[in-house]
Amino acid sequence: MTPVGRILLACTASLVLYFACFAAILDRPLSYGFLRQEIDARLARGAAITGPKLVILAGSNGPYSHRCATIEPLLHMPCVNGGVAVGIALDYLFARWEALLHPGDVVYLPMEEAQYARDRATNALGPDAAIMLRHDRTTLATLPARRWLGALFAYDLRGALMTLVETALVAGGFHDPRAAATGESNAWGDHIGHTAALAATSASVLAVAVPYHPTVAQIRAGNGSVLIAGFADWAREHDVRVIGGLPTGFADSPITEEAIATIRAIYAMHGALFLELPNRSRYPRAAFFDTAEHLNETWQVVHSTAVARGLAGVIQSQRGLLPDALKVDTRSAPTSSCRHPGQAPEGRLRSASATFLAALSKILDGGAPVLAGAC
Amino acid sequence: MLFHSQEFVLGFLPACLAGCFLLGRFAGRTWALAWLLAASLFFYGWWNPRFVLLLLCSIAANYALGQHILHLALAERRAPARRWLIAGIAGNLVLLGWFKYADFLLHIAAPGAAPLGIFLPLAISFFTFQQIMFLVDSARQDRADSGLLTYAAFVAFFPHLIAGPIVRPKDIIPQLRRRDLAVPRATNLADGLTLFLLGLAKKLVLADTFGGFADIGFNAASRGASLGLFEAWYAVLAYSLQIYFDFSGYSDMAIGLARMMNVRFPLNFASPYQARNIAEFWRRWHITLGTFLRDCVYFPLGGSRCGTLRHSGNLLGTMLLCGLWHGAAWRFVLWGGLHGLYLVLHAHCRVTLPRPLAQALTLLAVVVAWVPFRATSAAAALSMLAGMAGLHGIALPQMVVQALPILATVATPVPVLSFLGDGRTLSFPEVTACLLLGWCIVLLLPHVHELSERARGWALTSGFAFSMQALFFAPHVAPFLYFRF
Repeated sequence: MTPVGRILLACTASLVLYFACFAAILDRPLSYGFLRQEIDARLARGAAITGPKLVILAGSNGPYSHRCATIEPLLHMPCVNGGVAVGIALDYLFARWEALLHPGDVVYLPMEEAQYARDRATNALGPDAAIMLRHDRTTLATLPARRWLGALFAYDLRGALMTLVETALVAGGFHDPRAAATGESNAWGDHIGHTAALAATSASVLAVAVPYHPTVAQIRAGNGSVLIAGFADWAREHDVRVIGGLPTGFADSPITEEAIATIRAIYAMHGALFLELPNRSRYPRAAFFDTAEHLNETWQVVHSTAVARGLAGVIQSQRGLLPDALKVDTRSAPTSSCRHPGQAPEGRLRSASATFLAALSKILDGGAPVLAGAC
Repeated sequence: MLFHSQEFVLGFLPACLAGCFLLGRFAGRTWALAWLLAASLFFYGWWNPRFVLLLLCSIAANYALGQHILHLALAERRAPARRWLIAGIAGNLVLLGWFKYADFLLHIAAPGAAPLGIFLPLAISFFTFQQIMFLVDSARQDRADSGLLTYAAFVAFFPHLIAGPIVRPKDIIPQLRRRDLAVPRATNLADGLTLFLLGLAKKLVLADTFGGFADIGFNAASRGASLGLFEAWYAVLAYSLQIYFDFSGYSDMAIGLARMMNVRFPLNFASPYQARNIAEFWRRWHITLGTFLRDCVYFPLGGSRCGTLRHSGNLLGTMLLCGLWHGAAWRFVLWGGLHGLYLVLHAHCRVTLPRPLAQALTLLAVVVAWVPFRATSAAAALSMLAGMAGLHGIALPQMVVQALPILATVATPVPVLSFLGDGRTLSFPEVTACLLLGWCIVLLLPHVHELSERARGWALTSGFAFSMQALFFAPHVAPFLYFRF
């Protein structure tokens, strides 16, 4: 064989081995397996609801900072917290949920800023790419060809090594410490148990964390913005109401007015609404759990109540109805009015009720939620 | 243009090779050389076209000066030749100093003054040093008259233009003047392509992976975070691998590219982390820079052929200059000073240690010296060193402590190590696995130039698919670390 032929053979063998390993043999049972379980559980809940429902779609800002268990009784509307992680590509998320959305459903999108600015290449290499390649080729088949290619090349060196590490850990009876360290998901898909006490271990990290704020140009040019706009168009055609929102973040690191206007315009231009809370979903650093997009449990409930009020206004404007729950004074502690099977233990939340009341008053007294966009 | 960019791999390189070989076949060597020069200038101008003029002016001025010095030297007029040589070196250093060190010097002289904001032209440190060597070789009559085209093609030759290797004119110019320069040779093409692909894998697959880990730790330290023992050590070990794979990967690509065009570059890295002492480390790390500094600074200062104090001063001075060459900042000076100190200690305190211990001690010294080199401030460097010394505590993920309970006696169990990898539950085994792989490669395997053809084939099989993944699908391309130098 010629020297150049030997090189070609080595390169071809490399590609064949790579595809064979990652499409059929190797997997990441702990990280991607966990994500897959979380996604499937949320989808199963969404599929089980027959009437109109509220679906919250975002990255981890969805389940960590929003609590369907709080929102559902306030809106009198079944709720699913459909977001899992910010790395999951939006086209994958939308593709999975579109099959379960029906006329009359409401989708609230408190998307992280990074979601809008994410470029196509990053979008194509999220964990969903590897998940689809190995376990969900049906969804992959519905996506454009560039996503197939991305899925074929989803594993970098880190991912490849982790397939071996995770497989070995599972074989060795590894006990996943995540639930003890950060909490877990409830039946609605909310993340629960991420208490202020557990957050103490991340206090030093949060103190120096520098949140990422993409520029207006990055938001406009981002592939995420295109995907969200496409989803809003799809929703309009199918009588599903999309309401955009702002992600939670540090009060000392606000999103610029220009960026908010740009995000708002993405929804408005595609027939969707946009909900802005008076505090722009900004909270003190002490309200967060481990990142700038994860409120701790106490503040998750505070924020969810404020979101519920805002969404109620939107739904009211659409239906001409005021949900019964909102006729109740929402300034009373939600722990008694929002208890629901599977919800976090009452005692844990009650201990934070003083903080909750003060915080909620502050948010609500800041002014009425701002509703924008086309109706 | 970056060697590891799609436009280079799919556009520039095939076009450059095809043009060179076609012109070589149908129009002759001179046209092929002119094509190479034009391609190299295009390559350089892709980054910032306005500095092409600076490069051309520098080439023209140095060539004219080199010719003048050579003629003076050939005419045995050594005094004027020496004066012109000093003027030429000074001129080059003034140019380099203006672009690279003006702000640094201004900050020393007037700490409160506003920076001049001078934009550093890419590769100026490299092409300045190349041309200083040309002037020195001219004064020593250690080169033949090459002609302006060959000289310009040598300086601007794109494989070494941006980040070396720093090659001697007398080694490369004769190769560019060979009649069969632009004749394709299957062996050279295959060898060159293999080296290029292996260098590409080093950069895209290994260096960029470790760079991600290192950035998280060092960026946290620069923001004032206190890294624990494992976070600090992992960040520094990751950076040590990043800079090695990044620069040796670049050098392999450069050597491979030149080889494809029938030009042989000298070796630039020879498994430096396997060195048994610091002097050996410098004979294996950035070999061409070390050779330049030895020949053009250390030996002229007197080298080791003088008293102990002077010898130490020569070592320290050379390494301080080496540090300053890497960048206009005190951290680079400190890094150079540390290595100078290591070399002085090695020269005067010879202790025979068992090989593994000697290797470990050398590696420890080198790794510690990377801290000020990488840290963005003195405070960040000190914080990182304190973390490495365990002064910020020893924390380990709960999962590790659960698996090995004895560790609880020395380490505090925490849910995650926030500044390790992505700060997730599985980041600890992830970074550990990556670091183990990286350190096994650098400590146990021979470097790519020592590998047999079969072993290179296996290396290519292991890395090619990951390289393609990174080249065509990775969302971000990190530039070579040495571009900034």
